[in-house]
This record gives sequence, C-alpha cells and structure tokens, in this order.
Amino acid sequence: MADLGLVAADLVVGLMLGCVFAVIAHGLNVIWGVTKVVNVAHGEFIMLGAYGAYYLNLYLGFNPLLSVPVDAAIGIGVGFLFYFGLLHRELRGKETITRESEMVTLVATFGLSLILSNVALAIFKGDAVGIRWAPETLALGPVGVPLGGLYVAISSVAIIAISDLFLSRTYLGNAIRAYSQDIGAAQLMGINPTRIAAIATAIGFGLTMAGGALLTVWLPVGITPLIGSTYAPISFVIVVLGGPGKMWGSLLGGLTLGILIDVLPAFGISTSIAVAVAFLILIPVLLFAREGILR
Amino acid sequence: MRIPRMRFPTFGPTLYGLALLMVVLGIATPFLPIVAKVQLINFLLFVGLAYALNFITGLTGYVSFGHAIFMGIGAYALGGGIDRLGFPPLLGVFLGAGLGAAFAVGIGLVTLRFRGVYFAITTLVLFLAAKNIVPEISQLGEGGGIFMNLGFQPLAQFYTIWAIVVIEIGLTYWVTHGRLGYGLRAIKSDEDVAKTVGVNASRLKLSLFGISGMFTGATGAVYAWTLSAVLPETGFDITFSLRMLAMIIIGGAGTLLGPFLGAIIVYVPYNYFQTVQSLLGLQLAVIGALVLLIALFIPTGIVGTVRRYVPFLRRYIE
Amino acid sequence: MSARLVARDVRKNFGGVQALRGVSVTVEEGSVIGLIGPNGSGKTTFLNLLAGAEKPTSGTIELNGRRTDGLPVNRVVGLGIAKTYQIPRPFLAMTVRENVAVAAMYGAFHRKPGEARDDAGRLLSLVGMDPQAETVAAELTVQHRKQLELARAIATGARILLLDEVFAGLSADELPRSINLVSKIQKELGFGALVVEHVMRAVLTLSDHVVVIEEGRTIAEGAPQEVVHDPAVIEAYLGTEVARAPT
Repeated sequence: MADLGLVAADLVVGLMLGCVFAVIAHGLNVIWGVTKVVNVAHGEFIMLGAYGAYYLNLYLGFNPLLSVPVDAAIGIGVGFLFYFGLLHRELRGKETITRESEMVTLVATFGLSLILSNVALAIFKGDAVGIRWAPETLALGPVGVPLGGLYVAISSVAIIAISDLFLSRTYLGNAIRAYSQDIGAAQLMGINPTRIAAIATAIGFGLTMAGGALLTVWLPVGITPLIGSTYAPISFVIVVLGGPGKMWGSLLGGLTLGILIDVLPAFGISTSIAVAVAFLILIPVLLFAREGILR
Repeated sequence: MRIPRMRFPTFGPTLYGLALLMVVLGIATPFLPIVAKVQLINFLLFVGLAYALNFITGLTGYVSFGHAIFMGIGAYALGGGIDRLGFPPLLGVFLGAGLGAAFAVGIGLVTLRFRGVYFAITTLVLFLAAKNIVPEISQLGEGGGIFMNLGFQPLAQFYTIWAIVVIEIGLTYWVTHGRLGYGLRAIKSDEDVAKTVGVNASRLKLSLFGISGMFTGATGAVYAWTLSAVLPETGFDITFSLRMLAMIIIGGAGTLLGPFLGAIIVYVPYNYFQTVQSLLGLQLAVIGALVLLIALFIPTGIVGTVRRYVPFLRRYIE
Repeated sequence: MSARLVARDVRKNFGGVQALRGVSVTVEEGSVIGLIGPNGSGKTTFLNLLAGAEKPTSGTIELNGRRTDGLPVNRVVGLGIAKTYQIPRPFLAMTVRENVAVAAMYGAFHRKPGEARDDAGRLLSLVGMDPQAETVAAELTVQHRKQLELARAIATGARILLLDEVFAGLSADELPRSINLVSKIQKELGFGALVVEHVMRAVLTLSDHVVVIEEGRTIAEGAPQEVVHDPAVIEAYLGTEVARAPT
C-alpha cells in the first residue's frame, strides 16, 4: 500500500502539473473547436513560447509570469500569419470543413512542425537551457507546495476562466461560438466568417505561446527545440478528453493527465508506464464518449 | 448498345518500368562495390516503408502518424527471434511480418472506427505509448536493447528487402486494379456511402491495415538486421513515421509510382545530410517544407499532379 | 421468388425522444408504396432503419422472411435493399460511370469490374445520363446528381429501393419528366420501391398504396385517392401541403 502522505504530495504536484498541461493545450482547444482544424505543429509553438520566455529572461530579466503577456502578443501576430498564410485558403467560403481540407491542413501543419522543430534545432542547438526562477516552497503540513508551480496553476485556471467568460459574455465571443456551431447561420446573422476564424486562430496562438512561457517554470533546465514532440501529443489527448471547443475541457483533460502521470508512480508503476497509461486513456474516451467527457 | 470494356487487367507501363528497374537492381547488385550495396539496401528500406504505408494511408485516406510502431515490432521480433529463439535472420524477418500484421489487425479493430484527425492522433498516441512500454519489458532487453552478432551480410539483407519491395509493388498493382481498387476509392471518397452501395468498408480497411503492418514489420526487421541491434531509439523512431508519411505525400498517395518517387526524394537528402553532421537536422526541415508546399498547392502529390496537368503522360504513369 | 420487405411495429427512440412509435409497412417487388407525412414525422428515420443505417429500438424488419434489422448497411445492400440519399452524395472524385460501377460490383450482383462497367453504361442510358458517363461526379448539376443517385441504387441489384425525396428541389418543368422517368424505369425493371416524398403529385402518380405517418405513428393508409380524402390526413398534413404543392 502506498504511503498516504506521499500520495498526497504527488497529488498536489499532479494537480499543478495538470494545470500547466491544461494551459499549453488550451490554444489548440480554441483553434480546433472554432475552425475544426488540428494544428499538428502545436508543440512547436509551445516550444517557441518557451524560448521567447527564455530570451526575455536572458536579456531583460523577465520572470516567466512576466513573459506571458509578451509571448501572448507575439502569438497573436503569429496566429494571424498562420491563418492567412495557411488556413484561409482551405476555410474560405466553406460552411463546413470538408474531409479534404481537414486532411490538407493536417498534412500541411505536419510539414510545418518538421520545419519549425528542425530549424529551431539548427539555431538553438540541442543543448537544454532553462530559466533560473525558483520562488520558495510553501509548507502545508507534510506537503511542500512549490510556489512557482502554484503561480502557474493559478494563471492557468485564470486564463481558462477568462476565455470561458470571453466566449459567453462578449459580443465577439458569442460571434466566435456562433461560427463554431454553424458557419452558414452565423453569416446570416451578419458575422464575417473570415474575421472570426482569423481572430480565433490568433487568440489560440496567443494562448499557445503564453502556455509555452508558463511551461518554462516546470523546465528549469529542460527547454530544447524538441519539447514540442513531447507536449503536442499531451495537448492532443487533453483536447480530445475534454472535447474540442469546451473551454473547461482543457482543465479537465489536463488534470486527468497530470494526476495519472504523477500519482500512478506512487503505487509502484514506473513513470514511463504512467505516461503510456495517460496517453491510452484516449482510446476508451473516443470509443465511449466521442464528444469528450464534458457534456 | 455495347459499351467498350475498360481494358483491365492489362499491365501498365508503370508496372513494367518498376519491374524492369527491380530486375536490373536484382541482377547488378552482387557486382557493385560494397558502398553501393549498402546505399541500395538503405534506399530500398525507404521504398519498402513507403509502399507499406501507402496500403493504408494512400489507398484508404486514413493518415497514420504512428507507423513506426510496426517497425519497432518488426525490429524486436527479429532481435528476439535471433537472440532468444536462435532463429536465422530471414526467419526473424518473417516473424516481424507476422507480428506486424497481427498487431495491426488488433490495433485496427479498435482504431479504424475513428475517422480523420482522430485516427491520426490515436496512431501517434499508440506509438508513444509503445515507445514508453517496450523499454520496461525485461524480456526485450529493457532500455538496453538487444545486440545480435550476425557479421556483415549485405547480399542476404539486400535480397530480403528487394523481395519485400517486389511483393509490395505487385500487391499494390493488384489491389488498385480491379474490384478492390473501386471499393477503396469509394471508401476514400465517402466511407458511409461506400457502405450503402455494399462495400464492406470495415473489413477492407482492416485487411489493408493488416497488410500495411505486415510490410512495415518486415521492413523494420530488415532495418534492425542492418544495424545488428535493436534499441528502443532505433526500433521506435518517430522520424521514420514522419518520413514514411512524407514519402507518400510527396510522391502521390494511393498511386503505384508515387511511393517510389517519394522514397527517392526523401532518401537522397537523408543520405547526403547523414554525412554532413552540421546539417543533419535540416534534411527533415527540407522535407517538411516540401510536405507543406505539396499539401497546400498540389495535394495529390507529384504523380497525381502530373496525371492531372499532363494528359499525354496519363497513360504511362499511375 | 419475388422480394418482399416487411416492417412490423418498428419503433425507434433517440435518447428520450420517440422518433417512431410503431410503424408497419410491406413493400413487394413490382409495387410502389408512398410514405408521406409532415416534416419531422419520422420518414427519414424509418428509411434509415430499413436500410440498416440504424437499428430499431423494437420491432422487426424482414426481407423474404429473413431478419435484416441489426445487420450492417453493406450486408443489407447485399441482400437486395438499397437507398438513395436525400441530398445526393456521389463519390466526387470518380466518374459517373465509376460511381455506378462500384455499386454493381459490391451490391447484390457482385459483378466483375468489366461487367459492372457495362451494367453502368446500360443504367446510365436508362436514366438519360449517357453524355455524362465520363464526367467526374464533382462537376455534375444537382439534377444530374439526383439521377446518378437513382442509377447507383439500382445498380446494386436491389429488388427493393428506398427513395428519399428524389423529386425535392426540381423545377416545375423538370418534375413531370422526372416522375415519368422513375415510373418508366420502375415498370421496366420491376423493383419494389418505398418512396418518401413531399411532392404530392409524385406520390399520387407513382404509388399503388400510400402510408401516412405523423409523429412516428401511422395515421392512415390505403389507395392514394382514398388517403388524400381522409379527414385525419387532411387535418394533420395535407391541408397546408396540398395548397403549396406545384400543380
């Protein structure tokens, strides 16, 4: 039987890890939910966000939390470029994404991910870097809570909550939701589909790169050009678990993965098996709850 | 009124061309210098992988990001067969093919219910899970892998992969020309409708996934044979998944010539950059750029595009 | 033996919604049954159940005494029941001839590719699409897509056809021609058909027998002219629809 104190400590870390997973998957969730396009290069934009935070720290002394808004702003710009460079020609004038466009965008973003990760490898080299930023640890009884992870978790939940409020309470947010449900009907309401899809993509990229900045707190010496290949699949699984387009789905999926990966080892299961289990959860979810766990 | 019959099955020029090329390679290789032999083995490994993925992704439209899982299964089958069971390498390759097919059918029974991006993501996830699980299995040498003391056997390796490629080309031709070809095109176009005209889509997809897994497993086994070792990193190498996909997208998914062309285009920079250490990563970036441009501008790949815009070549390439 | 499709007391629930609450219909080879009812009455659901696209919650569907409910679509087609889509769904990347040939190869006939292409040619001249035979389906007009849908269903070798609104959306001058065409083909080939239709004129011309459903229940059935004068039917449905139907 596992030591309960240990399990509690792992649970806390797992929850915090789940929150950072949630925020890095959130941008993918927004883009997938609204445009129905799956950005295979998602991981590479997380990686770029992480490097953004690293260089902001290196040259300007920013801590990762301060880098979040800067990364988000860069991400929004990148998102518009991505939309008009890549998605627009596939989505323009269509009321539903065709199977053909779905495959074209899947393959095109797959090509993009190869370009970005390997060019990054050439520029940044393979050495891992990291940001020295280690706030104290908060002692909660037997459980030590690292404050850095806690700040990240709070930011993550706040970002998801704000995006949910934005979608349900603002005019633009409602327009985005209308677009995601029925492009034809949204157009009849006077919504410009290109504008909405471009804005949603840009927001998604802003969130993704901001997520990359927050992730650096968890990678004190672990930022490499190849982290995308680790965090992209995690993001895919999270979005499928929660259901594309459901804002709180990111948090639910993230926490599920975070807890599985961190708590299973307390029961004597190795970390690699725990990661495999967390990934394989995807299959029963797709079999029995195709729209994700959240209703 | 009589409508003239389509002349199926006739042997098209593409098949003749490929057959001739393979025969020439088969005859000439024993006389080539050792460096060229090794090059040809490595090139045919790429060709074998491209045709293997073409069976499922090219012919049914189900994009698999995780096909390297079957390479890994083939590699470990060879390693286990030789190291634990005392098999000769060729038997290990057969074991790799058999296990590749068996795992593909098992995986396909579940995952082929998922369409489009969901299938693609599931294959990626299965690959990563396998990559995590295999090094934990003590019978498979754990993370340390399996080393085989086989000596240098270039000709045996060459003829094994040569035979695999020849069978793949023949089978691709047979599948695409005739009943199955129509059924597969129907599935690729609209699976639900294909069922309403009587196509048993589930069985057809599963068969092709099984065939694809079988050839990927066999090729993975030969690859491990050329390395004389099976390691988690070389057995389950995601870059092979990516290259496989790139090859058929560039060449033309679902065509007979496309995988071969794609293999040339992907193999040449791979081989060239292999010797220039500083540019090692850039070969994948170049391939990525090609994939991106092809997906956006000529999604049917080189063969599909030539067929569309150069009508007089339509008779000769397929 | 001539084919006979019998649906008995078929019910279908979607979650808590009862889409069909017990509908019974018999379609025999050589006869045309019209199935009418207001929007949302369950017509398309019923057709999907007969075609095998969905499983009934209860009730039975038999072809020549053999249960077909619960079988996958492609098996049902193999036994000789084929359906058309209300919004045509051709295989877009294939030519018209190939679209029809696939059905001949994989349907109840199991034709070899060469024979299937011959069959397709004959069927295409029957529906008047000879000139379009080598056209890629993506380039067809809506009218032609509808004709292709019909040709493809026939090509499966089905003895019972389920036709889902094949006349919807046709212009006033296309309509009579289209009705005559379907009637001619049906008489020539002798298959049985269940015709779901909003266009009353088509139903009255083609059908030997009409079934009216409302809210998932049969409210009337009989000869076309009788049904039209049934007060329950007029109240439920025809009062508004007849006025709008093109005459």
